[in-house]
Amino acid sequence: MATSTVAIVDVRPDLTAAHSEAWQALGQPGTWWSGPQRLELAATARTAMTEPSPLAPWTAPSTIDGWLADDLAAPPHAHDAIYRVARHAGTLTESWYEGICGELTDLAYVELVGIACTVAAVVAFRHAAGLAPSELPSPVGGEPSRATPSNLVPAALNWVRVTSPADERAAVVQAFTSVPAEHQRLWNLADAQYIPDLEMVDPHWTRGTLSRPQMELVAARVSRLRECFY
Amino acid sequence: MLSWSGHENDTEIDLAAVAEGGGAVGLPLGSELLRFASAAADPAADGAEIHTARHALVGVGGRAMMIDAAAVAANFHMMTRLADGTGARYPAPSVDAAASTIARMGAAEMVSRR
Repeated sequence: MATSTVAIVDVRPDLTAAHSEAWQALGQPGTWWSGPQRLELAATARTAMTEPSPLAPWTAPSTIDGWLADDLAAPPHAHDAIYRVARHAGTLTESWYEGICGELTDLAYVELVGIACTVAAVVAFRHAAGLAPSELPSPVGGEPSRATPSNLVPAALNWVRVTSPADERAAVVQAFTSVPAEHQRLWNLADAQYIPDLEMVDPHWTRGTLSRPQMELVAARVSRLRECFY
Repeated sequence: MLSWSGHENDTEIDLAAVAEGGGAVGLPLGSELLRFASAAADPAADGAEIHTARHALVGVGGRAMMIDAAAVAANFHMMTRLADGTGARYPAPSVDAAASTIARMGAAEMVSRR
């Protein structure tokens, strides 16, 4: 009988590489956040995802005495935002987003969502596969690049700005284009975890284990339980 | 995507079973995959259910299949946060065209519908 014990050597090398690259980047200077800030936000996202008794969606961590450390590198509003994205994403509203953008810049917010996405992918995979949680990497010094595309425009299909032309791609495809490093990282992860971009239109594509409908069954059930309409 | 891929593979998927998390989905190993995906959706939950679901899936499909299913689950932990964090929405005509699927998935009243 097959055993359900899994070791890291059982994981496809391309998947291990994508997760490792994304996880290490949590400690490196990003586009709008420094390495220590990104790590701190990643830690809050991980706690949000995994604590058995989470804060309610309307309760911000910064309003709870002692929840956040006193010597934060990132502002408390950023921790509040990433907690909500990581734990209660299905409850987010446009008015909440506008409020956050009053505290952070919209592009810093996009990177923050990217941090939550990386943490969610790696934490969820290791939990499901039965692998021990990963330790966060060490912080790397240096300044954020502040690299800003010159062709940012409002979108009808997202709250966030995207690169022009807007709305000619799916909303999830254009969502991170304002922060190219996060955009690239996310789609590297998606290629390894789900389906390579160029194969997306093939309903018969398989890695040799799950059929495409079986993959979509897992996708649909997780999305349903996460209350994600999209 | 589930309806589309099922149709293209000449397979009828029971979306209500997917929404409810039980019943005959209409796919090989559907019950094991559905249980595994349900347990994988909540990393904060007690580990007993994911352990049992993982063991059952490995037993019928092998470790490589279970790892690929875990990777797909991880992808949709990621993509749901991307979509809801950036306010992603479909064009209205696409939502109208998918009304039947939305209803069968029990998604019409979700807060995240924009």
